[in-house]
Amino acid sequence: MNVALAQSASQGTRVLSYAGALLETMDAALARHTNVFIMGQGVDDFKGIFGSTTGLAEKHGAKRVFDVPLMEEGMTGIAIGAALAGDYPITTHIRADFSFLAMNQILNLAAKYRYMFGGLMSCPMLIRIVVGRSWGQGAQHSQSPQATFAHFPGLTVVMPSSSQAILDMYPAIIARHPGPVISIEHRLLYNLDFTVSDTGKHVPLGSYVAREGTDVTVVATSVMVLEALRAAQYVHDKAGVSAEIIDLNSISHPDWDLVAASVRRTGRLVVADTSWLEYGVAAEVCRQLVVRDPRLLKQPPSLLGMAPAPCPTAKSLEDIYYPSQHETVDAILTQVTGAGHGIPLPVERSMTEGYKRFRGPF
Amino acid sequence: MRSDREPLPKTTAIQLYRSLFLARRSEEYIVEHYPENLMRTPMHMSMGQEFVCVGVCAALDGTADVFASYRSHAAFLAQTHDTDRFFSELYGRTSGTGEGKGGSMHLAAPDQGHILSSGVVATQIPVAVGAAFANLRLATGRTAVAFFGDGAADAGVFWESLNSAALFRLPMLFVCEDNGYAVDTPRAARQVAASLTEAVKPFGADAYEDDSGDVESVYTLAREAVTKARRDRRPAFLNIKCCRYLEHVGIGTDWNWGYRDQATVEREWIARDALKVQRARLASHQVGESAIAALEQEIESAIQASVQRASLAPIPTPDRLHAGVFHAKA
Repeated sequence: MNVALAQSASQGTRVLSYAGALLETMDAALARHTNVFIMGQGVDDFKGIFGSTTGLAEKHGAKRVFDVPLMEEGMTGIAIGAALAGDYPITTHIRADFSFLAMNQILNLAAKYRYMFGGLMSCPMLIRIVVGRSWGQGAQHSQSPQATFAHFPGLTVVMPSSSQAILDMYPAIIARHPGPVISIEHRLLYNLDFTVSDTGKHVPLGSYVAREGTDVTVVATSVMVLEALRAAQYVHDKAGVSAEIIDLNSISHPDWDLVAASVRRTGRLVVADTSWLEYGVAAEVCRQLVVRDPRLLKQPPSLLGMAPAPCPTAKSLEDIYYPSQHETVDAILTQVTGAGHGIPLPVERSMTEGYKRFRGPF
Repeated sequence: MRSDREPLPKTTAIQLYRSLFLARRSEEYIVEHYPENLMRTPMHMSMGQEFVCVGVCAALDGTADVFASYRSHAAFLAQTHDTDRFFSELYGRTSGTGEGKGGSMHLAAPDQGHILSSGVVATQIPVAVGAAFANLRLATGRTAVAFFGDGAADAGVFWESLNSAALFRLPMLFVCEDNGYAVDTPRAARQVAASLTEAVKPFGADAYEDDSGDVESVYTLAREAVTKARRDRRPAFLNIKCCRYLEHVGIGTDWNWGYRDQATVEREWIARDALKVQRARLASHQVGESAIAALEQEIESAIQASVQRASLAPIPTPDRLHAGVFHAKA
């Protein structure tokens, strides 16, 4: 599958996987900034965080790209200390779930340093965490904590949904962002190829319109942006429905004016997020709209996220745990033409079915 | 091997072999059938290091609750011998340990003393301390054993758990399945202490080490350790050297990645494979080849029957997705 961003130029483009984009940006950051270093479990091994750091230790030296013991909280504290002393640390967690071990340092120190000390100190750093999904990842290897992190003032939280988003955002974050940034990457995206453009900026450190439309606004995050884009094409082809897709992209600092303006035009809203709805991104989107103008929506919105349960491993349950292509199309059509839309839904259950290549490693 | 050790009785030798063979054959079955894509759960295989859990669980003889890591297969089977619920869980069936919701990393059978297996390194260790604490307080006569890899000894919570178990004077067992690697990072790249066994001693645990690779040696050591732990009300730390034959996660070997040398592993470990050694020992107990073969066939049939039962068991229906998230109203 090759997902082209709507605004990609046909000239001057190339195909680059998500993992490839990560590797390029990590490599470039090490080359460009002498104070950058990368640490995390397995960053210098043969798997290289699913191919996103492979070969960098050999190229840039073991002092700048290195493995650490199993010490998430300690590692994060070390990163904060190094950042305070002038380094730019990049840390990794191969599952978002493992970053929970570092919550104390992230929430109690990193998020608050700048404010708590009246701006005397800041800790610029990038924490890369990977969300797992499919093949029975189960309750402890599948969580998607963007709302949790974004809840705490002081953290910048992004969810790149494409190679272009990484190429555009990561260099800017590493070069200029003065505080801690948490980037939530999605394991299902790593092996996907995207068309990217190396000229101009396409993805801002905020939200952007991934596909223009007039009938309904779909606000999506991470891998759900791809689901939404596919769904938008489907409803266009089958029912002539025009869905506008907004990639929220930044969870902590979205472009709410962009979202509100779109909803003001369409009056209809679908939110498709990778995590739970309760106190989550979907809830925040609704809050932002309601406090601006409770009349923005013509009707109640459709909200898609993980079922409110820990993630089960049995395929029969995992399949219905995640919002799929099926539900995304249904939500869009229900918004535009009502619950009895009668338009056949796509058979394909979910993206994971479409990506037969994905069989781990996990 | 501990040469000063009294030979174990024949019945114990057979019991240990049965348990080893059960764990090994169950995982060999997984290796053979995983490519069918019907066991959709990431597998962290115990193969090669089963003798640690087998020896310890046999020595404790059901008197301790087991807390295991995601490398759960050997610990679960050594404690429960329950291939029915084991395979049902791997196949995602309602008859599994977690009705198909948990998968390979999250096996549990509290009714058989296997309390949990947890997917995040070292998370099970303080929970085992809590169980030992409560068992002592409630005077049940039971205690707890935590199984974990040497990677878990990187983690702060391991040291917190060790310290608190000694502080609370808990007669529990910390059993390190020391296969030398955290995923593919060798211990020397993670820990400065030359000996983990020596490092834990100042924390107030009795520390033991065993590099025999032998199930009977582990069994004997665990018996000694738990007896002393109960008598002195001190935790015991058992550092059992072992070898993970397969990759960190998955059913394959990983020699091609070059982080460890196949010839060395074969010479130092596979050549004295615990299962093979124990099988030879049965012969020295005058257990004939046909009797051994019959025993093996019995286990083989049990595995096949469990797989068959799993294949006939229901897959979870959609209503189970939301069941059990919260407690039902009283």
